[in-house]
Amino acid sequence: MMSQSVDSSAPSQQSTRAKDIARDYGIHLVLLVLIVITALISPQFLASRNISNMLLQAAPLGIVVIGQVLVILVRGLDLSVASVMATAAVVATSFNGQDSDALAVFAVAIAIGLATGLVNGLLITKRSVSPFLATLATLTLLQGMRFAYTQGAPSGNVPPIYRVLGSQLYYGVPFNMIILAALTIVFSLLLHKSTFGRRIYITGGNPVTAGLILSGFVGIVDNWVGRGFELDSIVAAVMGGVALSGGRGSIIGGLLGTAILVVVFNAVLMIGFPVQLQFIIKGLVIIIAAAFYVRKSN
Amino acid sequence: MTTMTSTFNYLTKRQGGLLTVIGLMVLLAIIGIIVSDRFSTLSNVTNILEQSTALALVSLGQTLVIITGGIDLSIGSMVSLASVLLSGITNGGTGMMWVAIAVVLGLGILIGLINASATIWLGVHPLIVTLGVGAILQGVTLLYTQAPIGKMPLSFGYLAYGRFLGIPVGAFFVILIFAATAWFLHKVPFGRYIYAIGDDSVGAQLMGLPRKNVLYFVYAFCGLTSAVAAIFLVARLGVGQPYTGQNYTLTSITPVVVGGTLLSGGRGGVVGTLLGVYLVSLLNNLLNFLDLSTHFQLIAQGLIVIIAVSVYVENKRKA
Repeated sequence: MMSQSVDSSAPSQQSTRAKDIARDYGIHLVLLVLIVITALISPQFLASRNISNMLLQAAPLGIVVIGQVLVILVRGLDLSVASVMATAAVVATSFNGQDSDALAVFAVAIAIGLATGLVNGLLITKRSVSPFLATLATLTLLQGMRFAYTQGAPSGNVPPIYRVLGSQLYYGVPFNMIILAALTIVFSLLLHKSTFGRRIYITGGNPVTAGLILSGFVGIVDNWVGRGFELDSIVAAVMGGVALSGGRGSIIGGLLGTAILVVVFNAVLMIGFPVQLQFIIKGLVIIIAAAFYVRKSN
Repeated sequence: MTTMTSTFNYLTKRQGGLLTVIGLMVLLAIIGIIVSDRFSTLSNVTNILEQSTALALVSLGQTLVIITGGIDLSIGSMVSLASVLLSGITNGGTGMMWVAIAVVLGLGILIGLINASATIWLGVHPLIVTLGVGAILQGVTLLYTQAPIGKMPLSFGYLAYGRFLGIPVGAFFVILIFAATAWFLHKVPFGRYIYAIGDDSVGAQLMGLPRKNVLYFVYAFCGLTSAVAAIFLVARLGVGQPYTGQNYTLTSITPVVVGGTLLSGGRGGVVGTLLGVYLVSLLNNLLNFLDLSTHFQLIAQGLIVIIAVSVYVENKRKA
């Protein structure tokens, strides 16, 4: 919403209008075309089991993308998301794996997320460290502490209630999808309706801290490995039209990017291509998407 | 507390930053000598030098890229791909070894040129470009092989374990190439353009400096040093593995930052980076002597980066 009011300062011509539409809705079209093509090649793609499966995979990434979008909006970049997630997961499994521990696990995981976000935020606002470098440092630090703590292999059990959150379906809809939907609504409202949210768009000092804390907070929801999520969450955000230069983009855009990524990954398997192709496609997609939005904003 | 902080800031101004790094190295050495009597032996020092070769090479390329205000996140995948190609093409034959070396060096330059081209012509930030190219290279590597592949002739181990004038071959090469690069950066006009572009890209272009050629050069150079790092790594490991380079993308940045090169570009140099490389290697070595697992190396590295960035950032603001 804000992005349009910023852009409208440019001379409004017919072609600019068309470009605006292409930028705002191009991603919907890409997603649609992808789904249709894949469904034509592999009918299994639209089977309800496969759709449930994709939703199940999309939710954790989507949750991280929400945080990443908020951080990128304030011209940041959070490389530590995956490390936060994995550390929280390790902590989650170090209790006895009973439902009575669920609250304690949640509290500790949140504390890890908040602490990481706070260190990142302080480095960035108080010492003017670039977000890239600050989150790189905390990523390394967390990874080391995690490995040193687990001696390399996580052990133990997650409280069953979290398993439900992570893998159970509710009338075919994964529980984690419901969490994603709730978070999307909350943070979209926060972004568009509150002064604090508007300030995030305008890019300032303190919102960086807030954004990073939020990303740490949402990062804990996935209970298992977050490996690759730092790259994937950035790819999804960039594909969804969130500009790395800050101030432009939306959570919904980021989630559409997430959907495209999950569909592409799934399509690679469904069509029967080698799994390694996922890396190559991911790499191409991020460069092409970034180039697309650069052109559009010129 | 305030006087302590201001003294600290005073000490770390300009060249003082490098003095801090040297001071830290001396401190680590003293701890090492106290902890173990094997620490200060000649064999341990050569060991440190041998292990630091690959890190030094990738950090050298990364330094030049960062001075222009960019970053190369494809280094790790480049090292992995070069490793498996070198070993896979050679496959034990001495004749094929030279072909493989030529292929790998050429590929490094090519990938660098691709990184630069995408940055220049698409207008996309190098962070995104190299992240994407890195993912593509990782995919290509895993399509080529998912396990260690091929083997090198026995004589190839000379690069890793040989001595030249009593110094490990790799360390000798590192010092030579760092000296040459330092000379190039400060004495050759084109080298100074690298700083000018990083300091003020628009201004440098207005002055007619060849921004595109500078970018082509630094990314190609970085791809090349990554390929050379892969050659030394394969010599050490004896075989190319698809995950050899995995950690080098991020660890290549640590010595650069510790050595005082700013991520915002325009400032820093390769001498600081070399000191940073030796500091990291010394620290890893010391942690080994303390019987701490390699996991603590990550913790130490994270802490070092945090300390370093806190020190140098204050620097630029005052400068």
